[in-house]
This record gives sequence, C-alpha cells and structure tokens, in this order.
Amino acid sequence: MHKTDSIPMAERPERTQILWTTLLVAAACAPFVRYLDGQVTAFLALILAIRLLALRWPAALPNRWIRALLAFAGLGNCLAAYHTVSGQDGGSALLATMLVLKLLELDTKRDLRLVLILLGFLSVVQFLFDESFQLTFYLGLIALGLVTLLTELNGGLGAAGLRPALRVSARLALQAIPLTLVLFVLFPRLTAPLWSLGFDSSKGLTGMSDSMEPGNISELVVNGELAFRVRFAGQRPNSNQLYWRGPVLWTMNGRRWTPGAPPSGWQEPARLIESSEPIEYEIVMEPTKQRWLFALDMPISEPEGAAISPDYQLLSNQPVTALKRYTARSVLSYRTAEPDARVRALALELPDNVTPRMRALVEDWRTQVTDGRSDRADDWTLVQRALAHFNRENFYYTLLPPKLGANPADEFLFETRSGFCEHYASSFALLMRIAGIPSRIVLGYLGGETNAFGGYTIVRQSDAHAWVEVLIEGRGWVRVDPTAAVDPSRIDNRAATELLGAGASVRFDLGEAAALARWMRDLRLLGDTLEANWQNWVLDFSAQDQRRLMDRLGLGAWQEYGLAVLMVLAVSLTLGGILLVLMRERTERDPLEQLYARLCQRLGRVGLPRLPHEGPDDYGQRVAAARPDLASEVGGFLALYVPARYGERLTPETLQRLSDLLRGFTPRTQSVQSAFRGKVTASNGG
Amino acid sequence: MPQVSNSLRDRAHRYFDSLLRRVQPGPDGVARVGARQIYIVPTRAGFMYGAVLLVMLLGSLNYQNNLGLLLTFFLTSVGLVAMHHAWFNLLGLAVQARGGSPVFAGERARFEVAVRAEGGRPRHDIRLRKQDETPAPVHVDTGDQTLVALAVPTEQRGWHRLTDVMVETRHPMGLFRAWTYVATEAKTLVFPTPAPQAPEPGHDAGDSARPHRTRYEGAEDYLGSRGYRPGDSIRHIDWKAYARERGLVVKQYGGEQGQEVWIDWARLNAPDPEIRLGLLTRQVLDVSASPTRFGLRLPGAVEGLSQGTSHTERCLTRLALFGHAQD
Repeated sequence: MHKTDSIPMAERPERTQILWTTLLVAAACAPFVRYLDGQVTAFLALILAIRLLALRWPAALPNRWIRALLAFAGLGNCLAAYHTVSGQDGGSALLATMLVLKLLELDTKRDLRLVLILLGFLSVVQFLFDESFQLTFYLGLIALGLVTLLTELNGGLGAAGLRPALRVSARLALQAIPLTLVLFVLFPRLTAPLWSLGFDSSKGLTGMSDSMEPGNISELVVNGELAFRVRFAGQRPNSNQLYWRGPVLWTMNGRRWTPGAPPSGWQEPARLIESSEPIEYEIVMEPTKQRWLFALDMPISEPEGAAISPDYQLLSNQPVTALKRYTARSVLSYRTAEPDARVRALALELPDNVTPRMRALVEDWRTQVTDGRSDRADDWTLVQRALAHFNRENFYYTLLPPKLGANPADEFLFETRSGFCEHYASSFALLMRIAGIPSRIVLGYLGGETNAFGGYTIVRQSDAHAWVEVLIEGRGWVRVDPTAAVDPSRIDNRAATELLGAGASVRFDLGEAAALARWMRDLRLLGDTLEANWQNWVLDFSAQDQRRLMDRLGLGAWQEYGLAVLMVLAVSLTLGGILLVLMRERTERDPLEQLYARLCQRLGRVGLPRLPHEGPDDYGQRVAAARPDLASEVGGFLALYVPARYGERLTPETLQRLSDLLRGFTPRTQSVQSAFRGKVTASNGG
Repeated sequence: MPQVSNSLRDRAHRYFDSLLRRVQPGPDGVARVGARQIYIVPTRAGFMYGAVLLVMLLGSLNYQNNLGLLLTFFLTSVGLVAMHHAWFNLLGLAVQARGGSPVFAGERARFEVAVRAEGGRPRHDIRLRKQDETPAPVHVDTGDQTLVALAVPTEQRGWHRLTDVMVETRHPMGLFRAWTYVATEAKTLVFPTPAPQAPEPGHDAGDSARPHRTRYEGAEDYLGSRGYRPGDSIRHIDWKAYARERGLVVKQYGGEQGQEVWIDWARLNAPDPEIRLGLLTRQVLDVSASPTRFGLRLPGAVEGLSQGTSHTERCLTRLALFGHAQD
C-alpha cells in the first residue's frame, strides 16, 4: 500500500483511464480467442473480471503476493495447454496472459503506457493466425484506440473525456496513412527468413493429397475453400478444357492409388512432339505444404524455382507453405513422347485383388472390338468401348456413394454402380491395365468459376477431380475422363446442392428458379474479388514486386540499395508534406481576422503599424490622431469590425462590406506639402 | 580542491549554457518560439514504443507477414507524425513573463507567465519548468491566453531575475518531449531576510527618555493632507475631497509630533553587511507596524522621515538593493 502513496498525483491514473485500457485489452484479445486453448481463454476472462470488479471495489485488487502467484498460475496454464511457450501458439498465449495480468498492476500512468504499447505487439501476433481483411480492419481500430488512450493519458487537452483525444488521434492517424503506405511499399523485404521458429505443423490444411482412395475426393468436393485463382493472359478456354493437372499416381495396391516409385534412372525429360498454340496464365495458389503446382494440362514452361517432371507434373523446389504466385504456359492439344519399356511395365502393374469378373468384362469388350480379328487390334477402340460401358449401363454419379468394402473397384463396377470421379477413374484405369493398355491416374481440378468482377477464374477444393491417362501407340499419353461419360440424366446433383448450398461450384447447375441463390453467388463473387485483390496487393506483396517496381522506375540496377534510398527519400518527402499541411492550417485564419490583418498591414506601410498590445479601438484612435485624413475610412471599418469581432454574430454581409471598404482603402504616405499645410493650420489655431 | 572543481563545473555549465538557443523576447516583450529553438527527444515511453516497434518489425519481416508489417508501419508513422506534432505544438507559441510583488529572501519569488496560442490553433499540454518548480500542464485555446504562476526559491536579496523558463510539451502521445528555453527580462525584488530580532532603533535626542506607552496616546491626531500614493490605506482616503472632485487625497494622522525614529546603518555594529541589512530590515518592519515616522540612513543613501506602506516599501527596496547597481 505504501507504494501507491509515494506516487505523485500527476502520475496516478484515473479510474476511467484504467477502465478504458482494460476494455481495449479485452477487445484486442477477443478475436484471438478463436485460436487460444479453452483454458487460456478462461484464465484471461478471469483476470479481466477481477480487474473490472476491482474498479468498483478496490479491495478486490490482489496484492503483490497474490499477483505473483497469479503470474505463476498463468505461466503454468500456458504450459499445461501447449507444453511449450516458445512456439507460435504457446508464445502468443503467454503474451496475452502476461499482458492481461499486467492490468492488475496499474499503479502509475507508466504502467498504462506499457500495456497500451504492448497491445500493438499482441495485435501483430494475431496476424500470424488470421490474415483476413476483417481482422486487419478490426486491429486497425484497436491501434487507433491505443493511440487515443496514449493521447488521453498525456492530457493537457483542455477538456476531459475521450472526445478531444479522439480528435487528436484521428488527425494523427489520417496524416500517418500516406507515410504507412510509403513504408509498406518501399521497405525492403527479406527474401528468406532470418531464423525459423517453425510454423506449427499441427494446423491442418485441407486440399489435395498425393494418394487416392474411395472417399478422398468426395470429401474435398463438399469443401468450398479456395484452391487457387487464375488469370489468363488471353482468352479463357472453355470450362471443359480446364483440366488443372496435379499429382500423377502410378501404383494401385488394391484399394489405394499412390505415386509409386519411379523406375530407377528415369530421367527422360518431358517433351511434347506436337502441340498447339500455348496459353499463358498466372496462378495465385493457397498454401498446400506440398511441392506440386497446378498447371493446365499440359504445362510446357515452368516458373522460376520449379520443374516439370517426366510425368508432366509441375513441381516446386520447396513445399508451398505460403501464398504462391506463378506464371505458367500450357498447350491444350498435344502429343507426348512415348516412354520406354520400364515405364510401360510400371503403368501395367496390377493389384492382387483383380477379380475374374473384371477380367471377363475386359475380355468381353475385346472380343466385341476386335470382332474375331487379331487380338490386339486397336487399343483406342477398346477405350471407347469401355467409356460406352459407363454411359450405357446404369452408372450413377453421386456425391454420397454407398460404402465400399475390401475390393472397391469390383464392388463399384458390378454392385453399387454409383460413385464419384475417383471411383470412375480408379476402376477405369484398372480395367485398362487388365486390357494391357498402360494407364495412370491424374489428380487435379476441373473447371473453375469465372469471376466477371475481377476478371479471373476461381478454382475451389470442390472442383477437385481425378481422371485417367492411357498410353496409345502413336499418340502417347491420352487423357480420358470416364466420369464425363456418365449419362447426364443420371447425375444426382441434389446431394451437391444440399451439401454445398450457395457455395456450390458451377459444376452443379443451380437451376433458373434459384434466383436468391444466384444473387448470393454474385455477392460471393464480389467478396472473392475483394479478397483476391487483398491477397494480391497486400498479403502477397513481396521483394519480387518491389524489384519489379524498381525496374519500372528505371532503378532496377540499384537493387536493395536503391530501394532503401528511395524509401528514405519518399519518407522524408511525405513527412515534409505533412509539415506543409500543418503549416497551411496555421495560416488559415478566420476571414474576419484576415481582413483586419490587411487593414493593419496597409496602415503599417504608411508608417502606422499596429503595436502588439494595441486593441482595435486604441489603434483606431491613434491612427485618427496621426492622420485625420484617414480617420473616416479607418473609423468606418472599425465600426463594423469591432462589433463583429467581439459582439454580435458575424454575417456574410458584414464580411462583404468590410471587404468592400478595404478594397477602396489605399492610404498614401503623407506628402511634405500636406504635412506643411497641417502645421500652418495648427499655428493659425494658436 | 572542491573549490577548483566547482569553478570548473561552473565554467563548463556557463559554456554549455551559452550554446543553448534561447528564444529572445521581441520588441513587444513577447517571446515567440522559433523553429530552430525547439529541442526534442523521446521520452521513456517513446523509447519503449520504439523498442516494441523494432521487435514487431523483425518478427513481421521474418515471418514475411505483410499485415504485421502494415500495422508496424502504421504505428511507426503515427509515432513520426506525433513527433512533428510535438514540435509544432511549441512552434510560434507566445510567452511573456512578468515579475510579481517583492518577497523576502528565502521565500519563493513569484512570476506570472502568460502563454498565448497565436497562429490560429490551440496549444495542448504546455508545461513550464524553472528549477524544481513544475506547475500543472495547461491547455490554451486558439487565440487565448493562459497565465501560469511560477514560484522560484530565492536566496539572496536584490533583483531576482527569471532569466529563462523551460517551456515543454509531451503532446500528443507522451512519446516525445519537446522543449525550448524562453529568455525573459522578468524580475522580482527580493528584500533581505529580516533578522529574528533587532535592537531598538535609535530615536532622536530627547525622545528616547519618554516611556513608550505614552507615545501612542492620541495617535489619531490629524496632521494634514497630501496626494494619494500607491500603498496608502483606503481608510485614510479623504472621500469627501474626492466627492468634490479634488482627486484622491489622503489624510495623514500621526502620533504626537516629533515621534520620529532614524534607522541607522552606523548604529549597528554587526561585522557582516548582510547581517546588518537583516537587522535593519527587522527594524524597518517593526517600526512600520507602529504609527511612527521613521527614516533610514545607509552609507551613501538616506530615506527621509515618513510613514505608510509605500514608505516602508521604499526603505525595504533601499535595503534590498544596497550596494547593487540600481535598475
């Protein structure tokens, strides 16, 4: 207790200041609660409650010993929840805990300042968890709040309460915005982190995996999350040509497709023998923690830091852990080179659980196709026959397929006959291998939603797809999409609409009647446009963009130094501009004062300057005494000016009349003659 | 040895003092703070703010988190703008100091500092500082003026000059302290500290023998009238004469004529002149409390026989400035 007594009055915070600071801390912690462990949140709430109670009943404020105990409890609580306080989660939980605990010890204004300043740090930490526009706006308000409270804490604003402080801080914030933008654009970025604290790998990412088994992709399809955005340099191809190529799967173990080990020494480069005109496009991809980059079937040029594998996957050198932007080129029609025998053998490997009826089915097709002629007549005709099978028989396309047992391919082909792209692709590839046609599975996305507002295409997780590539002699690898072979009348998209609601992609036509749903979709597209720009211009602004900017300014050769010099220059100029704004404000006096100042200035020119202590009345009398010839004009002006300045309300008419009076008023220095005449009159009078 | 280091320190102090850019008062006696006379440094809170921003910057750069950088840059910019606001809050501020009524040495000399918000904007959080004296921060509205009282401790008799006042602000966020030194001519007269007690001053011949008591009998005898001088008691103003438009006239009353006392430097035999002045001050104060006409004799100066507050003040002023150049 004696500690608080020794604090001078001026340093003791007021109750309202403590209240506002507490509320601001609570507001800053609120969005963070989503990422905090439940018990940490509970602890924060408890301390905040004690703080607020102690404002009402000061006796409830814990003393030093209890505070120390609470600090240990807070640390223990974070350790119990995260087992560490050095990681991203544990560390930020500890920061929030300690900041809130400091609220119990606000003896001086210095303590309050410390809390407010650290609030900035807590805000920045939250951006590691959430980078949305909404959170940015919210934390911007928190920052304004902390500036306001710091201003209020400093005091000397003439009136009590937050309003004058808010006015000051709003001015500060407005003037700070141009400077913020300059710093943001020009402050040199790191191209690689200085140290790695390790991103928590526990955070699950949804997205494509590098294997396929029944259920994998249909899980994805009900996920409306963004996969990537594409902007085409030229015309956008038709949706049914937009096969976004991802991982390629070679090995089937009876239930599950995996990439499989490539044959040793397989290093033949991917090359196309024939190709059409290339299409160029830019993709902004969400992080996947995987190496593959999606590209339109077939990619022909790789972006920096990536390579095209022999099976035409675009692979980044590093896993994509942050938003990735790249430009790629593809051709829509092509002929691939034919691989050697080892690769053919890999693409023909069969699992153990191929059933006799599957072999019988393929055998049946082959006899139909060859028509009794040679046994290996035409692979391509056999592919057509297989597709016709999916089309003619009662195969249904549904997002909610029945559960499959130990041999999914067999059960799907002969019993359930309803499934999703993964079922079709898997069984089709298997049937091809039985028929002796090398095949492989390609995972990726199909189509994408055009966003007319933003002029780009959105590809979502719900666009995930699987298709098959078969090796045909003389044609190389050919894409076959068995899912597309299903009769459209047997596509059950009711399930999709139910599952996805308004988030359904264009693949599921919502029908004309659903006007509200379409309106919702437009709204969603607009929101996505904003988000895309946010991502493009704010989140993804990088050293690369800065280099591009420098190039455009013709300073590319200067590199980082040029950027630093440019930044210092721009910051100085902006600050200079702000000062100019401040100075201008200063000279903006009220119009009445300006008129009076002009009168004084003109009289000053004829040797009658207003003395600093002189009021208008005294000045007028002195002028009248020194220059009787000016008395009437000056008197007339002052007779209007004085009441307007000190008494009645100022009207625009008064201003106009004063201005008119001033226009005709150009006093001249008294000539020798008139001065002499003045003397003569004076002597006559005596 | 301590003598030497003291004088060295004094000289160093004077040297650095001469380097200070002080705001000199203009011809109208008002000092207006100029751009190059303002000093500015971060406060402790400012350093803390900077340190936290640095951590935020490093963290955001390392995590390549643009939003973190955006917030860091926003707070940095706010800090930079705040620095200019602190500077601008002092720029063009008009300051004028005035001395107060005289005090005795050892008391605090009073000064009145007028702070005026010229230039069409209000001034926030203006703090004055002189030695240990730090009055509460003030706010000055646009075109308005606020008076701040400063009480400065005194030690020596004579004119106590304010010489300069530090004008300081931490507006707007308390992150930066901007200050300036305003030079001023303001001075307050400091009388010598009265001695706790002093010997009875000498009376003129023939008077000393009379017992004190009788001197006060009939003390309210009317002596005559003279013109009003500042400091005269209102009770002695001849209101009837004022009503007849003869101006302010004071009636003079006195004890028996001839009750006159001379307070004389030569009669005291304290060796130290300051102690002697202290004794004389005590005598003046004692005698002025009684209705006795008194005079003051100092080497080289004589204040004739008279009485009244203004006479007392004149005598005290003579004592205060004894041996000093008169100004």
